[in-house]
Amino acid sequence: MTDYESENGTTRDELVQRVALMEEMIAEGRASTARWGWVFVMWGLIYFAAMAWVIFLPFKDWAWPVCVAFGIVVSVIKGRRTRNTGKNQRSRSLEAVWQIFSAGITLYVIGANASGHGTQPAYYAAIFFFIGIAHGISARILRWGAQGLAAAVWWAGGIAMFFFTMRNEILAIFLIAAFFGMIVFGLYAMMLERRRAAEMVQAHA
Amino acid sequence: MPELDPVVHGKLRLAVLSLLVGVEEADFTWLRDKTGSTDGNLGAQMLKLEEAGYVAMQKRFAGRKPQTLYRMTPAGRKALAKYVSALKELLGAAL
Repeated sequence: MTDYESENGTTRDELVQRVALMEEMIAEGRASTARWGWVFVMWGLIYFAAMAWVIFLPFKDWAWPVCVAFGIVVSVIKGRRTRNTGKNQRSRSLEAVWQIFSAGITLYVIGANASGHGTQPAYYAAIFFFIGIAHGISARILRWGAQGLAAAVWWAGGIAMFFFTMRNEILAIFLIAAFFGMIVFGLYAMMLERRRAAEMVQAHA
Repeated sequence: MPELDPVVHGKLRLAVLSLLVGVEEADFTWLRDKTGSTDGNLGAQMLKLEEAGYVAMQKRFAGRKPQTLYRMTPAGRKALAKYVSALKELLGAAL
């Protein structure tokens, strides 16, 4: 029996367990508190759906507004449901980045299309750089290489837009970027989130 | 020998305080999920922390859904810091 066992009935093992518990919980509290992998998958699929509508369906002018409006509505509804998380400075920063990005790109797309500039290669390239910047800032905040890679995909696509300006080329670049920079990245994020949740359940079992 | 604050020392209460130290505020369900506890047990422990003045509770509505939010008070931070110091002293070089 150690000195503190005799003093207050707590063993050394219990104290060590308390330290481990504190470390685990502090790390949990500071970690990104929401699950957002699905958002990237959803937006990647929305890009594909909008493109498919433009190519194969009538009322092409409605494709992007309808698909984007659908994405915004789903994001807002799901976002409200995840409000009951622990908020920290990092999660607020990430939310701010993506909210400001969404507002900025919406205004940009509306402005460019209303003025008839929405078909130029530079217009598409700017969208790619917008998305890349949002991914890049998130990657810096989270210190997460995978999201940095997603940013690189969009920036590479943006540069490619200046060199490949034919309609089919632009379409191909867009679909490749959406696939790797949104869908694949989002699925990877979801996989990590599930793994983390399973580890937590195991830790508390 | 340093004294360990019994309010902080409770396993679930310590887990909650450690979670709250890293966030501005947290919802009851988030705390329950992170600690893997039950509603009843967590509710009872949160009440003890509130009575000790270590956490502050606020009820509000998110849309139509009631929400119970907790945040750590300065007294709670002080108590946790004191608890960590006491642990360090008790465990000595092991930490």
